[in-house]
Amino acid sequence: MTDIRKTIVVTSVGVVSTYGIGLDCLQAGILSGKCCLAPTKDLYPGFEGTTAQVCGLPLPAEGSNSRDSRTDRLAVIAAQDAVADFDCESVAFRESGVVMASTVAGLTEIDPGISQDPAAWYRRGGLLRAASYPVAHVADAVAEHLGIRGPRCAVSVACASGAMAIALAANMLLDGAAPMILAGGSDALCPFTLSGFNSLQALDPSPCRPFDQNRKGLNLGEGSAVLVLETLAGAAARNANVLAVLRGWAMTNDAFHPTAPQERGNGLAACMRLSMEMAEVSCGEIGYVNAHGTGTPLNDIAEANAYETAFRGRNRPIPVSSTKSYFGHCLGAAGALEAALTITAVRSGALFPTLRLSNPIESPGVDWLRGEVRRQALPLAMSVSAGFGGSNTALIFGSGRA
Amino acid sequence: MTPNLPTITGIGSVSPYGPLAGLIPQCPLEPSAITAWTTAGLRRAFLVKPFRPASVVPGLKTRRLDRLSAWALVASFLALKDAGTELSQMDRSRVAVVFAIGFGCVELTEAFYQSAAANGWSGTDPSTFPETLANAPASHVALFHDLRGPNITVGSKGFAGESALIQAASLLRHGQADLAIVLAGGTLTRAVYEWYEVADLLSPACYNSEPLPEGGGFVPSEGVAALVLEPAGRLEVRSYAHLSSGRWAAGGQPVETIRQMLGGSVPSLTICAGNGAPCATSSTTALARELTGHGAAIVPPQAVAAGLADTSALLHLILALSSRPSSGQALLLGTSGESGFAALLLELP
Repeated sequence: MTDIRKTIVVTSVGVVSTYGIGLDCLQAGILSGKCCLAPTKDLYPGFEGTTAQVCGLPLPAEGSNSRDSRTDRLAVIAAQDAVADFDCESVAFRESGVVMASTVAGLTEIDPGISQDPAAWYRRGGLLRAASYPVAHVADAVAEHLGIRGPRCAVSVACASGAMAIALAANMLLDGAAPMILAGGSDALCPFTLSGFNSLQALDPSPCRPFDQNRKGLNLGEGSAVLVLETLAGAAARNANVLAVLRGWAMTNDAFHPTAPQERGNGLAACMRLSMEMAEVSCGEIGYVNAHGTGTPLNDIAEANAYETAFRGRNRPIPVSSTKSYFGHCLGAAGALEAALTITAVRSGALFPTLRLSNPIESPGVDWLRGEVRRQALPLAMSVSAGFGGSNTALIFGSGRA
Repeated sequence: MTPNLPTITGIGSVSPYGPLAGLIPQCPLEPSAITAWTTAGLRRAFLVKPFRPASVVPGLKTRRLDRLSAWALVASFLALKDAGTELSQMDRSRVAVVFAIGFGCVELTEAFYQSAAANGWSGTDPSTFPETLANAPASHVALFHDLRGPNITVGSKGFAGESALIQAASLLRHGQADLAIVLAGGTLTRAVYEWYEVADLLSPACYNSEPLPEGGGFVPSEGVAALVLEPAGRLEVRSYAHLSSGRWAAGGQPVETIRQMLGGSVPSLTICAGNGAPCATSSTTALARELTGHGAAIVPPQAVAAGLADTSALLHLILALSSRPSSGQALLLGTSGESGFAALLLELP
């Protein structure tokens, strides 16, 4: 029998993406097959590439005195979207926790001038801007804007951050740390990360082609997603609508290389297996995997190998796609945005294809989704994230009936 | 005792006291003058004296790493050594690393900005970028020790150390790891120090050679503290403390919440983990007095640990344990802002 105090459910999802604000907007955009990746030249002098930028949102103007960074603002907008229908005066809401992931955080507000004469840079207005530098500030911004006073923390484990925030929030709920937790990730485009990935030659100048044999790298994007997690008991007590059940979660590390994934994908495969063990489901019961799928040569082959290992024994190949082909790699937000899309897939039965996947990696155990949206009943789906430093996270979502 | 109660079995640190396994010998420590960059007159801080990591950890290579990563490697090695942990006898996929950060790898972040200032954003150094990531120290710890369990880096204003301890204990409690290395710390750089200075957060003791005054700002510090945490049921070695429970929140009613956690008992010792802000010392100690009355022992925030700001809790705890307190319940307590708090209840053997 289901223990409703130990069953973690998702009762709301807030999103700000290149498609606009809201999960419906994101879902409609993906279902329409619209790609938000576009040529970009203005992010720093000399940069020419492809990114996905969020436009038309109430972000602080350049040089604004606001202490919230662009990353903070994206997070706050997503969180506000998530709780738009909530009773924000209730005790349960006020005592909520916040676990937000970010890798960029307040780097968006800092420029190279800080390295020349920090004190002078701070006195020129940098002090206020630098206040948003610590990664913890993203969680603070969300909590303060929403008037939430429960435990709050930030998670920063590179590109697995957003998914890990959700996993840690689930642990916290099991511990009774808060009645509900807003968990997700947020990251904004900024010269620091663009320059970093560019220096590593990890960027595809054209729109990325995850899992294609001719893939050349990733494209950076930006956005935020925030999930409201609570126990089924808590959700039932306030008569909340359950969007999905977080059936399983797991975190592992490759312990292989500071940036490269382990080629056989052993750490990621172990992570997926552990999440299935927690969910008490077999690999044959997972109907879809929303992949990490960055489009870099090393990631995608490691990931394909991980699927072969984790889903060995299935009767049919596991359907897999990368939605980064639509709006790029949103770093610390990626895992949360992809969790949101995985929930959408479970609820709608729509399996999103990878764009521009014409010549997939040969992987007999994987059914690479491409072309048209596939529709099928989907009781269970998995979202997979991996990142620099070898961090892996897998989340399994099921339909609202626990 | 509950068999799964997370227990601290090993301590390691790289701090102004030097790289040490186990408890820190009790000795007074004064801030030292900053020489790593040009300052306008005397500027002092609690600094880690330069040392060669390979002299502590044989074969360790740290040349391209941020000092935070290098210290994390040394501190984790010392903590495991202190715990007597034979990793070769363990399933390393069941060993977690949880790292608490404040500013993270600021040294190489500044270096990356310097390369951008010198060469433009198109000419930055590719070897530096990955080492600027907040999770670089934790991932180096995993890589060095071949630890394939959860690898988590957290930040929390005022309570990053406490948050890491609570998250690590949660991993053990839920069977997601058999052992966790919990670390917390930071490095001092020019940009960080001058940030404190321009924000007017520094103690007068940063500007002269007088002994530390009471209150009135803080003296920045640096270092990494590490604890080995494992379930009590597996213990065959000494334990420093058992972690009974923990709560933290950014607001609400700290006294009520902590008293609820204590379940009617009054800890014989309260360890105040000041977080660096000028008001922290008094507010934490005041909360401790309100919770435990005037009869119970209260260890006020230690300047050398408080200088670690958000990541101070682990070093505060180590320093308190180093004074060899008598057995009983102890409360590790931190405050931030008007009503933010973190409280961890410990059982001292």
